[in-house]
Amino acid sequence: MENAPAAPHPEYDLLRPIENPGKSFYYIVAVLLVIILYTGYVYIRQVYYGLGVTGMAQPVTWGFYIVNFVFFIGISHAGTLISAILRLSKAEWRRPITRMAEVITAIVLAIGGLHPILDLGRPDRMTHLFYNGRLQSPLLWDIVSITAYFTASTVYLYIPMIPDIAILRDRGVKPRWLYEFLSWGWQGTEQQHKVLDRAMNVLMVVVIPIAVSVHTIISYIFAMTVQPGWHSTIFGPYFVVGAIFSGIAAILVLMIVFRKVFHLERYLKLIHFNYLSVLLLVMSLLWFYFTFSEYLTSYYGNEPNEMRVFWYKFRGAFAPYFWTMVTCNFLLPLILLSNRKTRTIPGILIASISVIIGMWLERLIIVVPSLANPRLPYPTGIYIPSHTEWMLFLGGVSVFILGYMMFARFFPVISIWEIQEGRQESAKAVTERITSYMPDPEPRYTGSMENE
Amino acid sequence: MMNRKLIDRLQILSISLIWLLFTGIAVWILNLIKESLRLHDAPDASLGISLVAIPVFFTLSSVLTYVFIGLRKGRKKDVES
Repeated sequence: MENAPAAPHPEYDLLRPIENPGKSFYYIVAVLLVIILYTGYVYIRQVYYGLGVTGMAQPVTWGFYIVNFVFFIGISHAGTLISAILRLSKAEWRRPITRMAEVITAIVLAIGGLHPILDLGRPDRMTHLFYNGRLQSPLLWDIVSITAYFTASTVYLYIPMIPDIAILRDRGVKPRWLYEFLSWGWQGTEQQHKVLDRAMNVLMVVVIPIAVSVHTIISYIFAMTVQPGWHSTIFGPYFVVGAIFSGIAAILVLMIVFRKVFHLERYLKLIHFNYLSVLLLVMSLLWFYFTFSEYLTSYYGNEPNEMRVFWYKFRGAFAPYFWTMVTCNFLLPLILLSNRKTRTIPGILIASISVIIGMWLERLIIVVPSLANPRLPYPTGIYIPSHTEWMLFLGGVSVFILGYMMFARFFPVISIWEIQEGRQESAKAVTERITSYMPDPEPRYTGSMENE
Repeated sequence: MMNRKLIDRLQILSISLIWLLFTGIAVWILNLIKESLRLHDAPDASLGISLVAIPVFFTLSSVLTYVFIGLRKGRKKDVES
């Protein structure tokens, strides 16, 4: 069985990247490994020489690392949260999307979660948290919530993968011991399906508040200070909206890439892009609403320290970044996605990349200007990221691409059993659901006219 | 190909490690509460956070254990017997 050629499978397009990855896979992995190794060297150099090799200095003591931390954790909202909402609302079009989204969460959370450690000149001092941590510090809330979200997301990704892992095991795909180990004896019996469904129902409910709490707590790192530009009551929902916004853009980019590279046009249809891009447009409008509210209240309050930060963003050194952010996050998606003629795959790709850039700029605009304009009598700070910081950013992105490619090398990026289940049961289930909430047909009129 | 018994043992080991990890997290959080009580350093806030955090971790490990045991029990030969 092990060396026998695997029998044709109805969803072979989804198994091809695992069974025949092609030479280009290994070339890309080699290039990414070179970048990651060089990034490792750059980081060791930073640990050896200290944070002096970065562009951070007084008063701007948070730079790219914290920007990327917030950005990556934001992107992580793509997966588990959106997938859980789509599953919970029984959106049938979710089936080819959910796993691609959930993988983003697991990989990006691991990368983002490490960024605060990169920001430490003495990373060994992280161990102090274990015996001297203070639970009332938002930084510690972050560690707890990110750990909980990472664990929940990994479990949420893994459990619905079990039937697909069993398909790979039964096809004799190598390394067979791995698929044997991870499939937990799945045979697709009714009882096993029941267990899986029950577990997923619990996880769907548990994972949504955890996901929302993660980005809310990240916003608290800023909002719990009395720093101008950070001390805001709407920072929690503002960060969550931004996170979902950038997350949807990341899913769309990945879907377009995978569709093109692995010829998944049969699974990722225009309707999926259309639905998700409309969701992206809605999030763009919501993001603009929150941004407008945030800056209008600062402007109206006219508090001198607050206004220094405000004008620094609107017409000072950060104005080019600020207006690029507005263009990328609002104007471009609005123009491209509100018009049916431009809501095509290339249009959606441009809008999604624009949102990812815009959301990264938003994180930069939140972190740096408040620190560059301190309330203490310091001159305005200057922050120019160094080669080390750029390299660690590039390294983080490379780890993400490599992680995603490795996942796609060993597991199907689209859930095979959910697609098959959808084909067999969805139409019936949707019809039953619609019938259940539609008003009953008018009973035939039997009374006489006189009774009216 | 790996021995069936070895895979079974590794699976049981993985469940045990998950419980060990989550119990470790819970012990760590309890230790931080103890510390905040000792230092009179906002113990109520620490208690509030841990009341949310600890059950989340144990819910996750319980779900995983339920799935792993449920899938093993739901195998054909077990169902038939």
